Amino acid sequence: MPEAVIDIHDVHKTYRRRIKALRGVSVRVERGQIVGLLGPNGAGKSTLVKILMTVVRPSRASGTVLGHAVGHKPTLRRVGYLPEHHRFPPYLTGGQVLDFYAALAGVDRSTRRVRAAELLEIVGMTEWKDTCISEYSKGMMQRVGLAQSLVNDPDLVLLDEPTDGVDPIGRRDIRDVLNRMREDGKTVLLNSHLLSELELVGCDHVLIMHQGQIRVEGSIDELTHDSRRYELVIVGDVPDWANAQPEIDVRPTAMNEPGMSMLVVSGTEASSIQPLIDRLRADARTIVRVQARRDSLEELFMRSVINRETGQVDAPGAYTGNGGGA
Amino acid sequence: MRVFGAMLVDAYRELNSKKLFWVILAISGVVVLGYGSIGFDAAGVSIGFGIWHVESEFLYDGSVLSTIFYRSIFASFIVAIWLTWIATILALISTTTVFPDFIAGGAIDLVLAKPIGRLRLFVYKYLVSLLFVVLQVTLFCIGIFLCMGLRVGDWDPLVFAAIPLVIVFFSYLFSVSVLVGVWTRSAITALLLTILFWFGLYSMNQTEAILLTVKTQFQLETEHAAERLAALEANAGDEPDETTTSRIAELRTEQQEAEDLVARLDTWYRLTAGIKAVLPKTGETIGLLDRWLSRDSDINIMDIFTGNVQADGNGQFSLGGRPDRDREAQRRVQAVYAGRSETYVIGTSLAFEFVMLGLAAWIFCRRDY
Ligand SMILES: Nc1ncnc2c1ncn2[C@@H]1O[C@H](COP(=O)(O)OP(=O)(O)O)[C@@H](O)[C@H]1O
Ligand SMILES: [Mg+2]
Repeated sequence: MPEAVIDIHDVHKTYRRRIKALRGVSVRVERGQIVGLLGPNGAGKSTLVKILMTVVRPSRASGTVLGHAVGHKPTLRRVGYLPEHHRFPPYLTGGQVLDFYAALAGVDRSTRRVRAAELLEIVGMTEWKDTCISEYSKGMMQRVGLAQSLVNDPDLVLLDEPTDGVDPIGRRDIRDVLNRMREDGKTVLLNSHLLSELELVGCDHVLIMHQGQIRVEGSIDELTHDSRRYELVIVGDVPDWANAQPEIDVRPTAMNEPGMSMLVVSGTEASSIQPLIDRLRADARTIVRVQARRDSLEELFMRSVINRETGQVDAPGAYTGNGGGA
Repeated sequence: MRVFGAMLVDAYRELNSKKLFWVILAISGVVVLGYGSIGFDAAGVSIGFGIWHVESEFLYDGSVLSTIFYRSIFASFIVAIWLTWIATILALISTTTVFPDFIAGGAIDLVLAKPIGRLRLFVYKYLVSLLFVVLQVTLFCIGIFLCMGLRVGDWDPLVFAAIPLVIVFFSYLFSVSVLVGVWTRSAITALLLTILFWFGLYSMNQTEAILLTVKTQFQLETEHAAERLAALEANAGDEPDETTTSRIAELRTEQQEAEDLVARLDTWYRLTAGIKAVLPKTGETIGLLDRWLSRDSDINIMDIFTGNVQADGNGQFSLGGRPDRDREAQRRVQAVYAGRSETYVIGTSLAFEFVMLGLAAWIFCRRDY
């Protein structure tokens, strides 16, 4: 079994005796993985990460991070962290920020200097290193924040909403940095409420969290496997013979395709739809397109946050005890 | 050590970025300049580098009194008015944001996520935030030291005793600011409550001083009445006449009344002194400087100002007039204050500070950010 970098069980957190932010969360992350932690606002994602970083004390937790109990301070020497809405002292320059937090992480002076220069280069902020960060844009702050999370050359990096407020170019650059981390063999836990993010980064593993619990987990492939299908769009109504076949599903077409119909066949084998195509051609039907599809992470996400009792999407926020959740 | 060093450098950068730091430093410079502008020549004192000249038979170049005078201006006025009053308020304003900023969401997360224990982090942050005052008072004292040396040839390193005293004095108040700041996370609340607390201490001090002085005066009154009574009784012999008897009775009731009053004042005095015992002694801590600097002379600056000094023409001076009852009362009051040792004054104040910091550290270490 591969080495577990994070292996925690049954983590609970109740804020001020009322707000149940986490209700029995177990997470296992293996070395070298990029894991996405997904969930609506208030799901408890930040709380989970803060517990791992000792910023918040758990009400209950067991398990290990890099082989040491949760809350073991010296372990943090090997962990990098980018908090959400992070705020650096406004009187520092970009270079000074990296130097300061590296020193706090116990990095010696000469290593600090070399690494700060390297990281600023990686996040594309070298030109700005002597500018006071109070003059930075949100995206630049996020880049420096990302560099800051790597100053101690960590084995494990926890990123809380790293692309929050960043423009598309910045997002692409951040993704490049993440891919680089993967190549360097670092383990990354990435926290986001934006689904497209995780899909693009190519997370190895996804956890979907809602109301303080993990609702769904697995690789993107695993999670979307059951939804793999072929969609055929034809001109005109669905032929009667197709309606009669149970393995052919009929779905409405998009708004911009009037007078057309969609036939859906689940499965991953292209050969399985060839007879259908032959028959449609034999009927002289016009095939507009044939497409292999699977659910997006977004659809998966929506399904996992639907309340099992009411069938409605739960309001964002922590579990309140009246509806939703198990 | 690396962590402390980094935090110290950070503290320096922070105060460097604050305008108020430079404003205070500039005013300090002006105060030192004003002090240095006072000089002595053969005929008297010159102020403002010779703009004003005051002739004096006591204060002239080479007179012992001018040295005492020059020192006392520093110990009694500059320290009391500038360093421990105006500069302290400005320093409290500047540093009140340090802890609320430190524990602000998004900022504290970055620091707590480093491999440093929370208590250590708190203690370091507290120590480095005193850098503000350390720098201010050190530069200031260097200026004063140079002035004293150059103006009256008084190269006294004791001037630098003001550095630890002012730092300790400031830290009493700052500990309150830190506690409120950590607790409420609001800089403005911290500032207001700290200044309120300081005024509370000030009124407590004043109340104690007034009660002590009044009590001592009445005490002297009773002693005086007792003396007169004894004299009267001795003169009257075994068979006093009627007027003497009534006079004696009158004096007895007078003495009794004064004694009752002293007893009542004493209860109140003990009460305030008792409360003061557990509070930081801001005034008395700074007063130590005056105590140390004027240790070897019994003439103080008030004597010079009130003309209670006599010159014998050979450069020797003595206190004028017979010590009257007011002077005696003052002497006794001063003896009470002098009876409180440095260890007591600073020790009990630091104990208070530790309690404040202990509470603040406890809140800091237990909170979920
Ligand atoms: N320090 C705190 N004190 C009290 N409640 C908090 C605190 N931090 C978070 N919460 C609450 O806990 C729940 C989970 O928050 P959070 O972990 O930030 O969610 P997410 O990051 O998934 O948006 C929310 O309801 C939030 O209001
Ligand atoms: Mg969050």
